[in-house]
Amino acid sequence: MLEQLLIFTRGGLILWTCKELGNALKGSPIDTLIRSCLLEERSGAASYNYDAPGAAYTLKWTFHNELGLVFVAVYQRILHLLYVDELLAMVKREFSEIYDPKRMNYNDFDETFRQLRKEAEARAEELKKSKQLDRPVSDRKKQGQVKKGGFEGGNKKKSEANDGGDGDTGKSYKLENGHSNGNHVNIEGSRAVVANGKENASSNVGAFDVSKLQKLKSKGGKKTNAVVSKGSKVDVDPKKKVTKKNRVWDDSPQDSKLDFTDPVENGNENIEVVATDHGESMMDKEEIISSDSEAEDEEVGKESKPDTKKKGWFSSMFQSIAGKANLEKSDLEPALKALKDRLMTKNVAEEIAEKLCESVAASLEGKKLASFTRISSTVQAAMEEALVRILTPRRSIDILRDVHAAKEQRKPYVVVFVGVNGVGKSTNLAKVAYWLLQHKISVMMAACDTFRSGAVEQLRTHARRLQIPIFEKGYEKDPAIVAKEAIQEATRNGSDVVLVDTAGRMQDNEPLMRALSKLIYLNNPDLVLFVGEALVGNDAVDQLSKFNQKLADLSTSPSPRLIDGILLTKFDTIDDKVGAALSMVYISGAPVMFVGCGQSYTDLKKLNVKSIVKTLLK
Amino acid sequence: MGWDRVRLFKRTKSSTIVLTGLTGSGKTVLFYQLRDGSSHQGTVTSMEPNEGTFILHSESSKKGKIKPVHLVDVPGHSRLRPKLDEFLPQAAGIVFVVDALEFLPNLRGVSEYLYDILTKASVVKRKVPVLICCNKADKVTAHSKEFIRKQLEKEIDKLRVSRSGISEADVANEFTLGIPGEAFSFSHCSNKVTIAESSGLTGEISQVEQFIREHVRP
Repeated sequence: MLEQLLIFTRGGLILWTCKELGNALKGSPIDTLIRSCLLEERSGAASYNYDAPGAAYTLKWTFHNELGLVFVAVYQRILHLLYVDELLAMVKREFSEIYDPKRMNYNDFDETFRQLRKEAEARAEELKKSKQLDRPVSDRKKQGQVKKGGFEGGNKKKSEANDGGDGDTGKSYKLENGHSNGNHVNIEGSRAVVANGKENASSNVGAFDVSKLQKLKSKGGKKTNAVVSKGSKVDVDPKKKVTKKNRVWDDSPQDSKLDFTDPVENGNENIEVVATDHGESMMDKEEIISSDSEAEDEEVGKESKPDTKKKGWFSSMFQSIAGKANLEKSDLEPALKALKDRLMTKNVAEEIAEKLCESVAASLEGKKLASFTRISSTVQAAMEEALVRILTPRRSIDILRDVHAAKEQRKPYVVVFVGVNGVGKSTNLAKVAYWLLQHKISVMMAACDTFRSGAVEQLRTHARRLQIPIFEKGYEKDPAIVAKEAIQEATRNGSDVVLVDTAGRMQDNEPLMRALSKLIYLNNPDLVLFVGEALVGNDAVDQLSKFNQKLADLSTSPSPRLIDGILLTKFDTIDDKVGAALSMVYISGAPVMFVGCGQSYTDLKKLNVKSIVKTLLK
Repeated sequence: MGWDRVRLFKRTKSSTIVLTGLTGSGKTVLFYQLRDGSSHQGTVTSMEPNEGTFILHSESSKKGKIKPVHLVDVPGHSRLRPKLDEFLPQAAGIVFVVDALEFLPNLRGVSEYLYDILTKASVVKRKVPVLICCNKADKVTAHSKEFIRKQLEKEIDKLRVSRSGISEADVANEFTLGIPGEAFSFSHCSNKVTIAESSGLTGEISQVEQFIREHVRP
């Protein structure tokens, strides 16, 4: 049974709710739907799940883009109502006829709705009945897959249960024994997976297929975590119990011990270092985008567009002048496909480009073209707006303000840098420390990468050059404990910010992710910064969603900490293929707080949303 | 746009009033109260601005020539903030709606948004008057406007220090607020900032209407 069906304008005024279904909805599912789904450019998804204490709802919606109306149906998740999509479409059709922008009251729609609902329910009942006749067929087919003996028997029963129309298909099943059976089962199986994937996609955190996840789970099982013992650079492969010997490249004598770690406390006295001052960090410089070049780009863009659409050019030109055409999905498809390809050439993950295009299509369908505009320019404008909306941070990314707030409470502001191997965590940690120092904030580093050779030395060198304290405990210590002690030390010596460096880890590596989750849970940092490189392609989606998922799953607290911000690195190595920023922001919902664009201390800047959108759509 | 330029030449004052504030503060309800005298069947989070040019509902019975007001309700959701910049240049007055009920949990967000608005070039240069409207005043646990004023002044004072202390570095805010060295107060602003109470649900919007009338003269 439907819980509620609402009709409201895009401006927020509720026009009509069903008074028969008077159930008050628990929590605020509609507002959450708008904030977490429709405004996040996920309106192409099939449905949205909402959980409140005491209720689990699923929401489905449809838009009438021309009139600016939204139709939302809410029902209990456990009842898989099949008629909701149809009902929404019918309601949309009927309501658009009686809609008048000046009218606020639509009580006469109650009657129409009652009829529509009866119709939809009746149709669903019919479908259910016919499906029940089919179901014993499919059940038996599946069983037949397992034991071929039962197939014959099942087939006979099939032909008994079906009459008329189904009898023919029954015959065909008999003829093509193993083949059709296998095919059908596979199709059903994949359909179920796709449906699951879609539902999962509509949830906030994840946007991946269940099938993919299952595949990766099996992969993860095979991968083993090789914890290398420190002190020697010999790789230990747990599968083979023989330790690998060091390769001898020439006849030079071998070093007996390959551990070059300085005994702690020795390095400082030997070298006198002046604190490095490389000038202003690029974070504080405003980016000047000349408006001239913007105008030029737009003109060039418009000129090149007529070349791409040769098919149906004349008719579309005619339509654009007349300006009366209602946009249909088929009209939007070529323009959207071209946009999607363009986005993908800019290194946006394929999944994300697809979802974005669906969302833009959902918001443009049924709209009337303004006169003298082409479909492609309308689509372009809508996509640009959507991109700006996604990349605009949802919350304030003013770290300095947060640091000051924490300072007042006499607690250090803790930032944890996480990410996969080799993305530039330690380097960018030093850059962030430099920037904070320029703003007269005292920083302390915590070397919680106790795994990689040279990680502690690397941080020590940075700390020496920047003249800031570093808390380290050497190698092979539990990073979570090191971090805890570092924070205690910072509270003692009054540092404003603690920057915690962690070891790089693959998102599939279960033990390492568990260790990371423990670190975060134990220390409850103020900011969990995911460091990702701009060179990454489709893997960005996987990395971020897995990180978030593992942090949520493996945390033992009821409200787990997820990724709060993104630090995009190696931005200077990509010319205009800036799509990784978009993929990461879309999949995680976290804003890009810093962008690393070089390898010296000043190469850290803020994300310029307008220039990224311009580059993406060029 | 061409219309704005024509207006400048004719020296007619703009009649646009912008309703803004955090999401959930009650702007859309206020919009419909001002226009129709009722909030109809309720509202949800706005995804687009609500615009309209009309005579305020309470004045519809008045005789004589009354200038219609161009009222714009800009969504408060942070993703839609850029829309505000489209309407600010033509604003004759800003009504900044604050949720007086859930005030303290949102204090930082409210003060940051208010600070951003008060330091925008289009607001400072044109000395646009701002009315801080403490909405939901009909509820028992809603805070008083004096309390809200004091809290906002304190928070903005802190923001001022943390944002303007690093003058060349921070390019987010175009102007600084208040007098350096003194605790911030709304009286330091070059534009007029006043504070009022209202209740969108019950229709207690007289102070807002007064503000609108003051700045959109017939």
